[in-house]
Amino acid sequence: MPERTVTIASSVGLHARPASLFSQAAGKTGAKVTLTTSAGKSVNAASILGVLSLGINHGDEVVIATDGDNADAALDELAALLETDLDKD
Amino acid sequence: MSEQAPELTALLAESSIRLDQSAASRDEAIRATGQALVEAGAIDEGYIDAMFERENSVSTYVGEGVAIPHGTLAGKDSVKSDALVVLRFPTPVDWDGNEVSVTVGIAAKGNGHIAILSQLASILMDPDKAAALRGATTSAEVYELLQSDEDDD
Repeated sequence: MPERTVTIASSVGLHARPASLFSQAAGKTGAKVTLTTSAGKSVNAASILGVLSLGINHGDEVVIATDGDNADAALDELAALLETDLDKD
Repeated sequence: MSEQAPELTALLAESSIRLDQSAASRDEAIRATGQALVEAGAIDEGYIDAMFERENSVSTYVGEGVAIPHGTLAGKDSVKSDALVVLRFPTPVDWDGNEVSVTVGIAAKGNGHIAILSQLASILMDPDKAAALRGATTSAEVYELLQSDEDDD
């Protein structure tokens, strides 16, 4: 299954605002995307509660994975989001 | 020993649990939530503006009839101490097209809110617990629901 390893760039981690933006984007891909922490915990990336529950911090490494026809394109898009500081107010 | 997440129940004063609220709009609900945080001694009124700023940027609705309004990073200076408040709206509030029955207001200094959000989210991911929170009529029920699981990882 295609996957990407990404380092979280949002300055305060994947908390409410960045998590919402990422979850919404994951949902829009139309594919089932999983988000896995370096500790091995996995959630459905489109679930905001799931993403929040992981308590991901700035600088943490995560793996996003999905399959389906547009897997690589979807992953590229989501990786780019995570590697941006979504917290810039 | 790993750093423990804050006990949610320790951040929630009994007077901050308000189970019979009503609000005509999302903004009214946010204001009531902010007011509860002010009365808990956790924030200055300025934080309430930061809560609206956050909401207008990205919704704090997280599903399961729950919203978690809190301030933007800019509002951190208005936070005196970390705290939670829980407001229940027996008549749900229209929150940008979603129905909100419970708001959990969060005030945190520094990065404290990440651990708080994470714990809260873990609890709400259990649909039974989320339903129980929406239907809670006593503070004791709320405390029991917010008690972190025994097996932390």
